[in-house]
Amino acid sequence: MDTALTTLFLGTTRGAVFALVAMGLVLVWRGAGIVNFAQMGQAMFSTYIASSLIISGHGYWFAFATALIAGALLGALVDVAVMRPLTKRSHSGILASESMRATVPVIASLGILGILQSLAGMLWAAEERGFPSPVSDVAVKAFGKTAPFTNFDLFIIIVVLLTLAATTLFFTKTGMGLAMRATALNPEVARLSGIRIGRVRTLSWAISGVASSLAGLLITPSANLSPNTLDLILIVGFTAAVVGGLESLPGSVVGGFILGLLIAVVNVYDAPDDVFLALLIFLLVVLIVKPGGLFGSKRVRNV
Amino acid sequence: MLEIRNLIASYGPVLAIRDISFTADAGKITTVIGANGAGKSTLLRVISGLEPATSGSITWQGHSLLNKTPEAIVRLGVAHVPEGHAVIASLTVAENIEMGALFRRRAHKQDVRVAISEMYALFPRLEERRNQLAGTLSGGERQMLAISRALVSRPSLLLLDEPSLGLAPLVVEQIIATIKQLCISTGLSVLLVEQNANTALAVADHGVLLSLGSVVADQPASLMRADSALRSAYLGY
Amino acid sequence: MFKYKRTGIRNLAIALIFTVAIIALGAILDPYNQGQLAVVSMLFIGVLSVTLLTGTSGQISLGQGALMAVGGYASALTILNLGLSIWFALVMAIIVSALAGLLLGFAAARLTGPYLAGTTLVLALALPSLAIRFESVLGGDVGLNVDFGNPPAWLVSAFGEIGYEQWQLYATVPLTCLALLATANILSSRTGRMWRAIRDHESAASLMGINVSNNKIFTFVVSSGFAGLSGALYGLRGIVGPSVYPISLSLLLLTGAILGGLRSIAGALIGSALVVFLPDLIEWATRPLALSEQIGNYLPGLIGGVLLHLTVILNPGGIAHALHRHKNK
Ligand SMILES: Nc1ncnc2c1ncn2[C@@H]1O[C@H](COP(=O)(O)OP(=O)(O)OP(=O)(O)O)[C@@H](O)[C@H]1O
Ligand SMILES: [Mg+2]
Repeated sequence: MDTALTTLFLGTTRGAVFALVAMGLVLVWRGAGIVNFAQMGQAMFSTYIASSLIISGHGYWFAFATALIAGALLGALVDVAVMRPLTKRSHSGILASESMRATVPVIASLGILGILQSLAGMLWAAEERGFPSPVSDVAVKAFGKTAPFTNFDLFIIIVVLLTLAATTLFFTKTGMGLAMRATALNPEVARLSGIRIGRVRTLSWAISGVASSLAGLLITPSANLSPNTLDLILIVGFTAAVVGGLESLPGSVVGGFILGLLIAVVNVYDAPDDVFLALLIFLLVVLIVKPGGLFGSKRVRNV
Repeated sequence: MLEIRNLIASYGPVLAIRDISFTADAGKITTVIGANGAGKSTLLRVISGLEPATSGSITWQGHSLLNKTPEAIVRLGVAHVPEGHAVIASLTVAENIEMGALFRRRAHKQDVRVAISEMYALFPRLEERRNQLAGTLSGGERQMLAISRALVSRPSLLLLDEPSLGLAPLVVEQIIATIKQLCISTGLSVLLVEQNANTALAVADHGVLLSLGSVVADQPASLMRADSALRSAYLGY
Repeated sequence: MFKYKRTGIRNLAIALIFTVAIIALGAILDPYNQGQLAVVSMLFIGVLSVTLLTGTSGQISLGQGALMAVGGYASALTILNLGLSIWFALVMAIIVSALAGLLLGFAAARLTGPYLAGTTLVLALALPSLAIRFESVLGGDVGLNVDFGNPPAWLVSAFGEIGYEQWQLYATVPLTCLALLATANILSSRTGRMWRAIRDHESAASLMGINVSNNKIFTFVVSSGFAGLSGALYGLRGIVGPSVYPISLSLLLLTGAILGGLRSIAGALIGSALVVFLPDLIEWATRPLALSEQIGNYLPGLIGGVLLHLTVILNPGGIAHALHRHKNK
């Protein structure tokens, strides 16, 4: 019974972080039609910035805020410096073919990942670093009993829920949120309505950068920080996004929690080594049985 | 005044508009008619910046519209309702209308609110369906929504592409009458593209007949209506 | 028909010249560079698998490294468990990885760009899990020990003393040549044209009566066979294990293919030489600067990433395409 509860809480906290990663992917996919494989590279970079600030004596929250801003700027930079020039050229040469327009941004994002990881390695050494958590890592005590989760777990869940609420409000209640949805759904009508879709897309990249940096800041206290640590998180986030339909923000969040639980179950009841095997099987089953994801539209994926 | 001079536009090797020149007066309805594939939609898409022109010039009230993005052209007061009930299906009716006014919401906060309520007054059926998804509207309602989305930005020039597409004649008449009313009351200029020459020429002040990307007639609507030879040569009836 | 024959003869000539050149080079290089050249020949086959899959049919896979691993394990198991020679093992590698490609192809035929990329990436990551799960057979984290064995007596009597690296090179080059010829034939055949049609315009291709999904699956089968052969040779250098086929290997193949030129055999050759020798080249060029180890370790990755970017944005056809254009000017 206790193991089951522990698994449940482990799954929920991890799932919350995966949900953030998946959200980041969905934001860029909807806004720009690109799956950003460099996303967790960006997150790793901004987490390193936070870590360096903390090491040099700054407070946690200052570092935290700086990392989020850095994440936003990095996301915007990737769009402006790489993806925009790419889409501008998208009707010439090798990019003229349909399939390559889908393929080339993937390659470009892998290039960014390589650059960020190498730069991080050069700047911050290769050895792994720990990363602090803002609240104590001890189990919560209530009514004289020890709960199967820590203060930090609670903190993660609260931060993620707040982020979800803020994002939902932003998308449904603000003009910019409406502009972002319109751009994702129908860029032509959005432009005819006077929405500057280039800027809106850059903003999608920036918000995605914030979400993934947040994920980085929340996951590294329980892992270690190195140029490659967050790669695996990206894969889990990708699977979560696909489970959620890749188009749907709420879907990606649910997908994140499902994967958190799946991975916790495999970790606790089976062996940690099997996680990626489980992930692969799960992903294939979803793609074969429900190719539109659990929440996706019925739109077919090919063409 | 909308002034188009020696406009040429193509899709890759396909020449869709070959050297078009005409002017459309402010405050008037000018209709562009022609058979399928004559280049009517392309003309509107070039004016609103959705497609690039190869050469020529387009000016609206002294501003050149060439080499500008659609976002910038809307800000010059040119609103385009593209072919086929262009609304965003998974946004609500209210959101679709609000979207059209987004770019003015900072500078003209008060007026945007007024403009939105004017749209509901113009098309009461939309008001009843405010919170419904646009995808669930009927064809006619969707066209009304698409027009509202454009009008809510308070344009001085409205580019209207085949509002009659797939609609019952009664609904079309209603929509066109509304537009005509707006022209008279607010001085709105309209460039109306139509398949159905009779409906269009009945309300328009001026007519431009396109064939295979060229202007073959450019005259007052009443004259064009009476010219049966022209009609049978280019429109087939 | 006549034209086809001519290109066939031309390809054969190119392949022969390539073989002779490599063998001659192998005789004069030091063992380290012999080894590197052997790796180029091995990876060339892997990059060709990307040329076929991504360059010709427009599908992207981040799991080519995993298919190389399938080939590696298949050959290692054939050698260790069945006691057969490396030549049998290589054939086994091609067959088994082609079968794996068939399975992957069924999934791939339903997926486009980013979905396919993500799924194949997960596949590549799941591989070490498999090796550990079936540790008794696959050797777990450490892997299985295999090697090219000793050069046959007739070769030694023909060339004199042959070092291990040199033997790796000589054993690989004929196979690389066969792969090159096979690719050239596929590219100039009807099949190659169908693949390109699908790449350029899938719906138009299907209207022309091309069976899109069957062709996509077939591309995966062929490409996986190539990857498997490449992986088997790569593993025969010493170990077949998860650390030999990391996820970065898939990215290395893709980088090579893009930098060299995604659409031609020459591009694949240039690309594989580039990714193998680039680190050496950078090390040599920056030696006078006395860079710290930390920077030196990551410099190739950085430069590779930047080159990838510049290529994708400024010269998407790669080096081969740029050279070709230059020549035609
Ligand atoms: N995206 C495109 N790519 C290539 N050619 C196009 C494209 N859009 C239109 N065309 C071609 O340009 C020409 C003019 O098309 P356009 O849509 O402007 O005609 P239209 O007058 O609006 O016709 P309809 O009355 O049927 O709407 C046609 O020959 C059409 O085939
Ligand atoms: Mg039209």
